[in-house]
Amino acid sequence: MTKIMIVEDDGAIREELMLLLGNEGYIPYGVTDFRDIPDQAARLCPDLILLDIGLPGQDGFALCASLKKTSRAAVIFVTGREDGMDEVRALSLGGDDYITKPYNIPVLLARIKAVLRRCGQGSPEGMESGGLRLDLAKGMAQSAEGFVLLSRNEVQILAHLMAHAGEIIPRADLIEALWNSRIYIDDNTLSVNVTRLRGKLAELGYGNAIRTRRGMGYQFEIPDGGKRRIAE
Amino acid sequence: MTFGEYLSDHLGRLVLQVVLTVCIGLFLLVTGTKVGVLVLCGIFWLLAAGCVLLADFLGSRARLRELTAVMEGLDQKYLFAECVPGTGTVYERKLLELSRQAGKSMIRAVSDAQAAQREYREYVESWVHEIKAPITAARLICRNVDPAVRQKLTGELARIEAHVERALFYARAESPEKDFVVGKACLEEIVAQALERHQSLLVQSGVRVETIDLEQTVYTDVKWVEFILGQLLQNAVRYRKEDLVLIIQARHLGRQVQLWIQDNGMGISSHELPRIFDRGYTGSNGRARGGSTGMGLYLVRRLADCLEIGLQADSREGEGTRVTITFPARESGKAT
Repeated sequence: MTKIMIVEDDGAIREELMLLLGNEGYIPYGVTDFRDIPDQAARLCPDLILLDIGLPGQDGFALCASLKKTSRAAVIFVTGREDGMDEVRALSLGGDDYITKPYNIPVLLARIKAVLRRCGQGSPEGMESGGLRLDLAKGMAQSAEGFVLLSRNEVQILAHLMAHAGEIIPRADLIEALWNSRIYIDDNTLSVNVTRLRGKLAELGYGNAIRTRRGMGYQFEIPDGGKRRIAE
Repeated sequence: MTFGEYLSDHLGRLVLQVVLTVCIGLFLLVTGTKVGVLVLCGIFWLLAAGCVLLADFLGSRARLRELTAVMEGLDQKYLFAECVPGTGTVYERKLLELSRQAGKSMIRAVSDAQAAQREYREYVESWVHEIKAPITAARLICRNVDPAVRQKLTGELARIEAHVERALFYARAESPEKDFVVGKACLEEIVAQALERHQSLLVQSGVRVETIDLEQTVYTDVKWVEFILGQLLQNAVRYRKEDLVLIIQARHLGRQVQLWIQDNGMGISSHELPRIFDRGYTGSNGRARGGSTGMGLYLVRRLADCLEIGLQADSREGEGTRVTITFPARESGKAT
């Protein structure tokens, strides 16, 4: 499991971030004592640190430098200040990314995922669910019945749905997830893509894996039938 | 100063002189001086007085011209009194002393006003910095509520954010010189950042975005251009018709790079088009929709001017608007 340390002096944000990251399957650790943060980081060995630059009484930049000495964690700077120089400074001090408040939640999650991936953590190149395998690098879905090639849009849609298998994903969330991969899709195009994706999955025997929940969104679930057939 | 003006300034003295001359002439005539001698003396006297008058006139005119030249050569005109050459007459020195005092008091007033403005600006910046924490917290809290409510709330939060952002950039545009950093940047990256920043607004409005040929290098300040693009995106969403399609396209124009942002919205009527970048101007679309401040595009123009970015808007009413942003070639873009 990936540990994320949250260094944030605003209590409300810290609490909510911990909830959010917990729900996303990370282990969040919120720092409440802002003394000796590098020591705490050394003890906890987090994989990633969300670091607020504007901490009371200390300079986030200096903190980053000392954090980098005691810990191997990736650092994402979070700040309310919007200043080109700050960003340059943050990245030159060994920060792995820089995000400004107020952030969009899907954007924040996407950035965290991207940084973890760069640092050799986080989601692998492929995903698997009930016998259906998605190869992100090759853009290919595989099952016991063969394989189909997917377009870039379809790969991202399927990846997002599989990552949240069983949950109902509102269309807007799915669209935002695609925007995070710089696919600026609209509602109609999403419908078209999902229909096409279903067609391709049907070739693999997973025609019912993506269900439309009217008025709510999409849900990825391998029907029992599919599972049983694979199991046989 | 003309000779006439000079004469009218010294009218009293001249009249007195003439009267005195006539009186002395009459006195001399009565006491038996010969007329010939008298005429000779008169002519000599007039000549001498005329010469003195002329010399005085030319002297003062030359001095005035000198002072005017000094004034014209000054960048900060209020420092004039400090820069006057030579000593001049006592009268002139006294006048200059008075004007120096006036200048000093003015400089104090100006620097007070500047300090107040700087403090206000710093306050706005720190305020903007502070307000972002509660907005972020609200965003995070929103996640836990019912999706329909969440969508509405995130929309409202996005509006708050947009206003906050404009306040920040307004404060910055007041004293821009120290604030922007011109650097090499990829247009694709800038556009992606701007789209990301306004993602929830754009996704909710159901927009389709097409990006074409954005792999161009520009030399500009990334944050400011992001803000400019953000304003244009917000306007596109605000003044959309049913299905918004945004086309963001770049192309080379000689050594410059042009970026087009084209929408298929309401468009702007031709008589309103020249005024859209004016401060506080809300067109008929803005008034019809309500809630427009006339500040967004004004700020866009101010920032673009600072960055030496060209801005042009073309529109056809009912069909859409295209804003063309022209980035300067590398050399002229080196402002800092």
